[in-house]
Amino acid sequence: MALLQIAEPGQSTKPHEHKYAAGIDLGTTNSLIATVRSGVAETLPDLKGNHLLPSIVHYAKDGTVSVGYSAKIFQCSDPANTVSSVKRLMGRGLADVQTIKEFTANQLTASGIGMPAIQIFDQIRNPIEISAEILKVLAHRAESALGIPEGDSLGGVVITVPAYFDDAQRQATKDAAQLAGLNVLRLLNEPTAAAVAYGLDTGNEGIHAIYDLGGGTFDISILRLEKGVYEVLATGGDSALGGDDFDRAIASYLVEQAEVDAADRQAHQMAMLKAREVKELLTEHELIDVHFMNWDGQISREQINELMAPIIDKTLLACRRTIKDATLKFADIREIVMVGGSTRVPLVQQKVADYFKQKPLTSIDPDRVVAIGAAIQADILIGNKSNDQLLLLDVLPLSLGVETMGGLVEKIIPRNTPIPIARAQEFTTFKDGQTAMAIHVVQGERELVDDCRSLAHFELRGIPPMVAGATRIKVTYQVDADGLLNVMAEETTSGVQAEIQVKPSYGLTDSQVTEMLKNSIEKAEGDMQLRMLREQQVEASRVIEAVRAALQDNGQQLLSEQEFAAIESALRQLEIIAQGTDINAIEEAIKVVDTNSQEFASRRMDASIAKALVGSEVDEL
Amino acid sequence: MTQNGNKSIDLKNPFELFGLEPNFLLNEQELSQKLRDMLQTVHPDRFVSSSDQEQLAAMQKTTQINDAYGVLKSPVRRAQALLQLRTGVDSSGEVTVKDPMFLMQQLELREELENLSVKKDMNGLMSFAEQIESMQEQQIAVINDFFQQEGENQELESDKILAEIYKLQFLRKTLIDIEAAEEKILG
Repeated sequence: MALLQIAEPGQSTKPHEHKYAAGIDLGTTNSLIATVRSGVAETLPDLKGNHLLPSIVHYAKDGTVSVGYSAKIFQCSDPANTVSSVKRLMGRGLADVQTIKEFTANQLTASGIGMPAIQIFDQIRNPIEISAEILKVLAHRAESALGIPEGDSLGGVVITVPAYFDDAQRQATKDAAQLAGLNVLRLLNEPTAAAVAYGLDTGNEGIHAIYDLGGGTFDISILRLEKGVYEVLATGGDSALGGDDFDRAIASYLVEQAEVDAADRQAHQMAMLKAREVKELLTEHELIDVHFMNWDGQISREQINELMAPIIDKTLLACRRTIKDATLKFADIREIVMVGGSTRVPLVQQKVADYFKQKPLTSIDPDRVVAIGAAIQADILIGNKSNDQLLLLDVLPLSLGVETMGGLVEKIIPRNTPIPIARAQEFTTFKDGQTAMAIHVVQGERELVDDCRSLAHFELRGIPPMVAGATRIKVTYQVDADGLLNVMAEETTSGVQAEIQVKPSYGLTDSQVTEMLKNSIEKAEGDMQLRMLREQQVEASRVIEAVRAALQDNGQQLLSEQEFAAIESALRQLEIIAQGTDINAIEEAIKVVDTNSQEFASRRMDASIAKALVGSEVDEL
Repeated sequence: MTQNGNKSIDLKNPFELFGLEPNFLLNEQELSQKLRDMLQTVHPDRFVSSSDQEQLAAMQKTTQINDAYGVLKSPVRRAQALLQLRTGVDSSGEVTVKDPMFLMQQLELREELENLSVKKDMNGLMSFAEQIESMQEQQIAVINDFFQQEGENQELESDKILAEIYKLQFLRKTLIDIEAAEEKILG
């Protein structure tokens, strides 16, 4: 139960220092936005009081875009221009589409970015653009609910993704946020977010399993909560399995009974809607009367249970594997938390309870729990809470590997490795004078490249020409705290940084994102310039503030007088330039500050660690 | 393209990074306590509003800590790191085990796994896994004894330790294969 907290006037965070942050659950079927107000995290409703925003986007012929309930109206009347479940397309390939059956009603085509796109009138819309429309509506909802003045925006958002999302799917989500003009503080795994929402409520230490069955994805995460730190021990699931599969199983039963023509798209769409209704009614009732097209009959809960059981069994198998990955036993699980609308299905709760031999926790609305957890984390990340407590340590959900001879995969970083993490690999040339080489990075657990997800082809150029085998190229694969991969390469004998060209298999290059961003701003060229200048100035003041704070904190102890003066002068220079209007000059001045403070930043980290270790020694006494 | 092995980013002494004495036996609770303490201060989540340099430094430091934690947590990798630290022997390469008893046992264990898999004997596989787990415990004790003796005998016999580490690796691999066999049966 969430209690309303009342703070004494003097105790509340000073209003002018409060930064607005929000948590967004960008779901397959529904999306939500939540924020922390007066210490309480809550989801925000639209003007009509609806908290859930159906993840549906409709494009009208005149260019009007509608999102949510206003788009849902068109689902039956104009299915070709109405997009639902777009999350299923994020970061995936056109070849995967055969398995994604919702999209038969839409015309899927190639988008030029690997991902399938949707042909709407004479335009092609890719999944990133469509998701950005949903994010814009949510952000706008938060801005009006929080009373953020016109022209100002949210300070930052945490967007949740299924834990089992691969690199391409995560990157696509982040690109969508960028396109929507949002500052992403962190991509947070949905089960981890749910754990945060529950953990703060109950303060339970120990090992928790989070069972998250959404509309289109299934995740299982095993976490250990100890002294305010959530450590994800293992995560698993299926990013193409969810409650929609229940609907589909029921829909094909309905289609069979009503003897619907296989080519009748509209009838299939209606069968899906009817199936959802049947599923929801049967969570309350044992037997219902069903009318569908020309068929009238009865369907019992037992009947749909039989249709759903094989899907639920698949999720339980993933639970078993994940608990083994965490080197734990079922008896070690102290609590199992249910997340996602599909866990409302009684058979899901019953089967999970039987399998884990305990009653699952369902006290927080399974539709809202993820957004609430994300809001709490966003509030902490942006600095509204004293941050000496909660810390989330997450893992890489799927192994990263590179293609080797014969189309085999060599694993570089195994799944469930805590992130951020990096690995280095040394390569050498096999031909005299070779100046380029290619690396193909994949993600997945299988041995063959073709069975894994292709992430990107990296092409290294500018390697100094030498005899075969004389060159040493160190390739570093770095996974950041968002679970996103970066690849760097360096020729170790000469120290030459090799130039890397990245061709993402499913997704956008940086310049494509910028291009789309430009296109999305329909205003005049001048406005674009003004916006870029404003962004650069904001960045400059962020840098100045951060570095000044660091200098004040321990600059005297960690830096020589000369080093201190160099940083200080770079800062002063930036302050002056940032008042001008030269975007490039500001960018350059920021770089100068960055270069001068690089060593300082790294010394500060070492100092923090030394302090933390001394602290833990004291704890032991 | 040829490739020369796959290494951790920073082979700096993982014990030192965690402020621990370089011993094979370690207190797991103390290890995870130290991990939490360090990451509370340097995790990138603490630097979301900081300068790019600090964000980068936080990511690199956390990467290093996570990497060292991975080494210390795994008995095999911890033993390898300790051996390298004390003798300079790199144990990531090929190891030849000449112990005929162990080679015999290795064959028998593989055969047993094969039999149980063919028979789809879930219960058999589960108790087989328990058997391997207890062998693993024993093997960890054996390795610990070797590292303990070092002080007494002055010279650490790296060949012998390498062989013992290899045995532990083999048991670990067998456990993974048992899990894979179980998965296959369950579909």
